[in-house]
Amino acid sequence: MTQPELRTRPPPTGPAATTRGRRRPANHRRRGVPRGLWIALLLAPALLVVGVFFLTGITQAVAQSLGYQPFLPGWRLSLDAYQGMFTDPAVRASLLLTARIAIIPTVLSAVLGVSAALLIRRLGRSRNWVSGIFQANLAVPHLVGALCMLLLLSQGGLLSRVSHAAGFTDTPAAFPALTGDEFGWAIIAAYVWKETEFLTVIALAALGRGVDDLENAARSLGARPWQRLVHVTLPVITPAVAGGAVLVFAFTAGSYEVPYLLGRPFPATLPVVALQYYNATDLTARPEAMAVAVVITLLSGLMVAAYLFIAGRLARRSL
Amino acid sequence: MTGTAISLTGVRKMFGDTPAVRDLTTDITAGSFTALLGPSGCGKSTTLAMIGGLLDPDSGDVRFDGRSQLGVPAERRPAGLVFQKPLLFPHLNVEQNVAFGLRMRRLDRANTRDRVTSILDRVQLGAMAKRRVGELSGGQEQRVALARALVLEPQVLLLDEPFSQLDATLRAEMRCLVKDLHTESQVTTVFVTHDQAEAVEVADTIALMLDGRLEGQGDPEMFYTAPPSLIAARFFGVTNELPGTVRTGVFTAASTGLRRPATLPDGPAVLVIRPETITLTSPSGDDDTMDGVAVAARFAGTHLAVDVQLTGGPLVTAHAPVTTSVRLGAPMTVGLPRAGGVVVAADLRHAG
Amino acid sequence: MTTTSRRVAAGAAPTQEATEPVARRPLSVRTGRRLLVGLLLVTVLLPLVALLIWSVAGQWRYPDLLPQQLSLRGVGLLFDPRSDILQGLGTSAGIATAVAVLACLIGFPAGRAIGLYRFRGRRAVQFLLLSPVIVPGLAVTLGIQVFFVRYHLSDSILGVVLVQLMPTVPYAAIILGAAFANLDIDYERQARALGAGPVRVLLFVTVPLLRPAIAVAALLTFLISWSEYVLTLLIGGGQVKTLPLLLFAAIGSSDTTAAAALAVLVIAPPLLLVVAATRLLSGRSGNGVGFGRL
Repeated sequence: MTQPELRTRPPPTGPAATTRGRRRPANHRRRGVPRGLWIALLLAPALLVVGVFFLTGITQAVAQSLGYQPFLPGWRLSLDAYQGMFTDPAVRASLLLTARIAIIPTVLSAVLGVSAALLIRRLGRSRNWVSGIFQANLAVPHLVGALCMLLLLSQGGLLSRVSHAAGFTDTPAAFPALTGDEFGWAIIAAYVWKETEFLTVIALAALGRGVDDLENAARSLGARPWQRLVHVTLPVITPAVAGGAVLVFAFTAGSYEVPYLLGRPFPATLPVVALQYYNATDLTARPEAMAVAVVITLLSGLMVAAYLFIAGRLARRSL
Repeated sequence: MTGTAISLTGVRKMFGDTPAVRDLTTDITAGSFTALLGPSGCGKSTTLAMIGGLLDPDSGDVRFDGRSQLGVPAERRPAGLVFQKPLLFPHLNVEQNVAFGLRMRRLDRANTRDRVTSILDRVQLGAMAKRRVGELSGGQEQRVALARALVLEPQVLLLDEPFSQLDATLRAEMRCLVKDLHTESQVTTVFVTHDQAEAVEVADTIALMLDGRLEGQGDPEMFYTAPPSLIAARFFGVTNELPGTVRTGVFTAASTGLRRPATLPDGPAVLVIRPETITLTSPSGDDDTMDGVAVAARFAGTHLAVDVQLTGGPLVTAHAPVTTSVRLGAPMTVGLPRAGGVVVAADLRHAG
Repeated sequence: MTTTSRRVAAGAAPTQEATEPVARRPLSVRTGRRLLVGLLLVTVLLPLVALLIWSVAGQWRYPDLLPQQLSLRGVGLLFDPRSDILQGLGTSAGIATAVAVLACLIGFPAGRAIGLYRFRGRRAVQFLLLSPVIVPGLAVTLGIQVFFVRYHLSDSILGVVLVQLMPTVPYAAIILGAAFANLDIDYERQARALGAGPVRVLLFVTVPLLRPAIAVAALLTFLISWSEYVLTLLIGGGQVKTLPLLLFAAIGSSDTTAAAALAVLVIAPPLLLVVAATRLLSGRSGNGVGFGRL
């Protein structure tokens, strides 16, 4: 008794692209909707939110910075606001301060974050809850961080009292002024505290299983611990950490709460200056407020470009 | 470049409560190509890692040419390792990957360049020297990994299932490449695999591991004609088992009454016979003939696998030429070679 | 007689069998490492500890290292019906929940488009969606404030919710995009083959498969909204009183205890949520998703 022969159909043609075994939905009509339209529909809400808000906001800001103030009699378009900005002593002092409180925390938190991650990943069972503490701390808002730094670093704060107990200082005034100071020490401290945790989490994520394997390969090729660190581990996690560092830079440069609370009215960082002018009762200060804000945006736009450029180039090197 | 003799003495390794390697003692001849064969979980990769220095044995010794390697970290052992994944450094190109070990040894540029170029030519990747890792195919990546290990002229080459992620044709090519490289360099090679056919094809010695223990070690023919145990026989594809008892050096099969000489102590035993050695058509005078009924015939490409139910006995499978005509249900006479088949202990240790 | 030596042997050969994670390093290195980690943890937690102590400090004059007197006055203030703190808590929670839900709803289809399809302009779309994350919202917010006023959305909760979509939708889209990229589309095809219509496939197959990513996206967007200050201030006009606004004011006041107590209230729900989420998602190793700037 022979079994009826099954006429095998030729295997169905697979969908469009096959990337490493994963397949994308086929290039066919879904429910009568052409693919292009479907994608556009999917993206519409998000692009609407981002696009509409972002683009209209920026255009308005640029327009106002150029003097477009229709509700104010006698307005005219000009570059006065920008010119005024560059001669404004508040802005000039602000540029240096902003650069300082952006660059120093970025560099410090990158170095500390990577070091912390390298330390933590070699822990045994404690690794989970230690990295858990870092992740949980990410949920602490920067505002609270600013308050914490006030409590720790102000002249009446905890560190000052410790220094008194240790015999270094007699009175609150003898302790160096770290908050409300010109340099921005407390601001930097607040950022370093929060952003180190952020970069540690990123570095830990980058230091996953794959890196262990590569280090073993390096060992089998004769690389000693220090050589492995320099030639394998660090190069491999650099893309992720660099991306994170750019995010940190952009954030610290554009943040308001922390510099306002921990710094002085003058010199203040660019965002603080922008809001000072914006809230001024004299509406003619409005264009300059907008100009400062636009400059912040432009600088951050450069950051975006740098971020994507770095990420794009280093993506070829990623695991 | 000549190889080193490797010897393992009483090596044990536990992971938590699970023993991965139990009391392993073996010698690997200098310059040989040994396959460490076994199913997954049998401890072969762990053993390899201990030879290479990536893992410490809990007890026991690992020696290269008689010198103990305990306390010597992987980076200082003269062993090259190639893993399942090529593990090429993503931030370096092909050339830089291959040169990595030489850089770690601080070899000068000129020498490095020469050695890298020549090894890349040897694995036929000379044109890809400047390519980035992401542009290579799986097979090319593994060749780079091989080149990277070999350029260091190691005394021991350890390969951990390096081709298991490649497709069949590529695997065959890579096996040839590794075999050729071994013949040229005579470096002691230990090749871990779970594929018994691959081991047989490529190695001159096979060490079979099951459940953390060395089940047997010898050349491939030995495992076919005289497997050391029932488990080993089954691993190598034996399907015909005739249980019986050994008494004073003679094995008697239970239901069929076949007798064979046996060197085992008295007790239960099993006669294992390879299907290729059983004749269906014209049993010769050297065979024990038995009667039975053909119950199934399967076309297996190169042969016909015929199941014969022996009268009053077990089912045996024979391999017959493809052109044999077999009528199911018809009586058959099978010839079981007197010289073929091995009597092994019936002891069935749990095979991992 | 051979002895096992404890020596440097980091990690194991990357195979399915041999997976020994931890090295046996000499005791001195291990202790040194433990000390460093301890120091690290102290620096990380010290600011929060200071906050906690100050929140229950009654009398705490300089130069004492610990309060002379503990008091629950600060805590009492939190629950005082005359202060707007409880109301602020409700406002914050409500806005954050609304923002999280909306952002995930909007980010879900966007993530699907980005993660699952290859189309021209995909990079540009990602760029555009990423920009609010990187570019500070200040200029944008100052710019759109005019529109919010014009459409009567300023000084309202609805306005605040809408404006907070700006920093949150990108994160939701990115996280869900990554999750969709890792999704095996064959699950959906299989479900269709078994007779499920598109809606049921979505509800019973796609969403459950993406549950961890959705949870992370929801958590993250909630946290971003919860901590948001500048956007709420500018669009809410000071009328919409969320906890960050109240906290900001409290910090400016001279009542440190009250500010500290309020700060503890502000961080309590986020911390609890993060702990709950990590528990829920445990099985994933400690890979952070990069909570970004909060």
